Amino acid sequence: MKIGIPRSLLYYYYYPLWKNFFEELGVDVVTSPPTTKKILDLGVRNMVSDICVPIKIFMGHFYYLMEKELDYIYVPRMVSIEKRKFFCPKFMGLPDLVRHTIENPKKVLRPSIVAKDDNIALLENFLPLAEPLGKTKGEIKKALKKAETAWLHFRQLSKEGYFHQDAMNIALGKVQKENLPIYQGGEITIGLIGYVYNIYDDYISMNIMEKLQQLNIKVITFDMLPENEIERPIKQMDKALFWTFSNKLLGAGKHLFRKNQVDGIIHVTAFGCGPDSMIGKMFELESQDTQIPFMTLRIDEHTGENHLQTRVEAFTDMIKRKKV
Amino acid sequence: MKISFPYMGVPFVYKKVLELLGHDVIMPPRPSQRTIDLGVKYSPEFACFPLKVIMGSYIEAIKMGADTIVTSGGHGPCRAGFYGENHQQTLKQLGYDVDFIVFDGWRDNIKRNIQNVRKIKGKNSIFKVYKIVRLVYQMLQVVDSLEMRIQTLRAYEKAKGTCNKIWDAIQRKLDEVETKEQLEEFKKYFYDQLDRVELQEVAPQEKIRIGIVGEIYVVMEPSINMQIEKVLGDMGVEVRRSQYLSQWVEHNMIPFKKTHEDEILKKGEPWIEISIGGHAKQTMGHIVDYKQQGFDGIIHLMPFACLPELISQGIMPKISEELDIPVLTIPLDEQTGLANNLTRIEAFVDLLKNKKNNQHKTAVIA
Ligand code: SF4
Ligand code: SF4
Repeated sequence: MKIGIPRSLLYYYYYPLWKNFFEELGVDVVTSPPTTKKILDLGVRNMVSDICVPIKIFMGHFYYLMEKELDYIYVPRMVSIEKRKFFCPKFMGLPDLVRHTIENPKKVLRPSIVAKDDNIALLENFLPLAEPLGKTKGEIKKALKKAETAWLHFRQLSKEGYFHQDAMNIALGKVQKENLPIYQGGEITIGLIGYVYNIYDDYISMNIMEKLQQLNIKVITFDMLPENEIERPIKQMDKALFWTFSNKLLGAGKHLFRKNQVDGIIHVTAFGCGPDSMIGKMFELESQDTQIPFMTLRIDEHTGENHLQTRVEAFTDMIKRKKV
Repeated sequence: MKISFPYMGVPFVYKKVLELLGHDVIMPPRPSQRTIDLGVKYSPEFACFPLKVIMGSYIEAIKMGADTIVTSGGHGPCRAGFYGENHQQTLKQLGYDVDFIVFDGWRDNIKRNIQNVRKIKGKNSIFKVYKIVRLVYQMLQVVDSLEMRIQTLRAYEKAKGTCNKIWDAIQRKLDEVETKEQLEEFKKYFYDQLDRVELQEVAPQEKIRIGIVGEIYVVMEPSINMQIEKVLGDMGVEVRRSQYLSQWVEHNMIPFKKTHEDEILKKGEPWIEISIGGHAKQTMGHIVDYKQQGFDGIIHLMPFACLPELISQGIMPKISEELDIPVLTIPLDEQTGLANNLTRIEAFVDLLKNKKNNQHKTAVIA
């Protein structure tokens, strides 16, 4: 049996879990390749024009996989991983969007994911897959155990300071941890705040991680921070946001602003992202209060690489000059 | 305490409750271009259109002297539930000193709601509050049923504009109603007026009915949806819309009641399985419901880039095809005027008429 996993959205957060889960069950996992113009165009063509780029990209990957010989394509319904908090409505409706835009909806495997925290490796979430995959409850349980371990390892590596791609590679066993030193350098440190599917998709972020490193800058992203530090500033608010990942970004941003660990913060946001419009406003206020420079990078399918490069350079140059 | 509130649908009703409770009420002006401009200026660029308009409304009301704002929160997971926070922060930053009283749905935040009720209630006894709320709820029901009749009659009135005049009178007169008896009188009077509207004869197969669905604020507030109901009515189209205030109150404020909206949600389930925020699931449910009622077409209104409605917009082609009911989606924001959309609406109505005529012809031939 073969299952396709689109390389987009929460692929960047949960792939080690998903991959291990399916493979442990003896299912072949096929992922779409890294985003390309072609994949994006495929999504743009098949989606309402006003929807945010990440969803268009997801659709591109999805349609790419639709053309492959696969038994299923995996599109989990991400509902909630925190009490009374949810995913962005687009995540919650994604499986509906997908199954009502294609001809053979049976191909879509869409379990609902509800958990109390980031660790979604719960039997309730994955047991519904037993039947379509032809597995027993015991087998699912066992596979989940393995999946959970791999994912926890992956998260641990991020928190140790490994960049995303490195953490992923180590967790998937592609590289030995010993052979990969954590990147320590950096004249200055920048907090790079953005959803995983924006900052780690090299096509959409135009390799921003690498660009920053080339400019000799140390980068901190939200997934490198310990959860409780991200949560603290959120708990202090009268009313938190409704979306878990948006709260993570907000919390990480606030934390970095206040703890003086960074010389500047860049918020990477997709054109038309609703939740981010709320966060952006709050970051502006934090920046005013703390005097730490802040910049918003808004990306969409038309953003030019030169434009991005220029803005990042200008911003970081300004900070470097200030520092000497 | 000078209280104001967001302007939506039939705002006289909020005014009424607050006045009957003995408060000083500042009636916010009907949203105008100025309101929108103010709202846009002081809101995040990518905030939802309703948030911006309401921001503008608040600023206008504050300039008129309001020092307290009563509003409803939301249950998430959409931005609406966060409007209150964003508005408060922004207004504070602008240097306005206002109190916010935010009512969440009963089930969401019972404690805060009880505190709020205390604040609003003032010196009135709970019994009095109950009586007032019941009276206003009955008013809502009366107004909603009058409005539905108008939405039908407007399509066939002989003298164009008659219904609009009556509707304006209804809103004005409602202001004077303070007791159950007056409400009865009011009801009788206007039913009578409506009975007397002279109508053109229109053959049943030529009657066009359109259901308006979508995000609540743009569906309910005529001043930001280009008065779409009047526009359609003047084109000879009967309309219904997915939201009426009495239903909203029923669903959100009366605990544990099985409501019309629950049924609608059920009908939406095959299309959007769970509630994803805003009114996207209801949007699907209403389309199914209108189809079952034999409507000819659907106009889907959404604020530009509205998160949940983008999902329903994505599903529109499929539901439209499967149920065989044409759908026209109109995204609304500060830049989309009536002129932009009028031709689309006209073309859509023509399409429905042709479709119906053809069906009728084939039916006759067969
Ligand atoms: S959080 Fe923003 S970018 Fe992500 S899916 Fe929702 S709207 Fe799009
Ligand atoms: S439903 Fe739409 S308009 Fe309402 S808060 Fe959500 S995104 Fe904004």
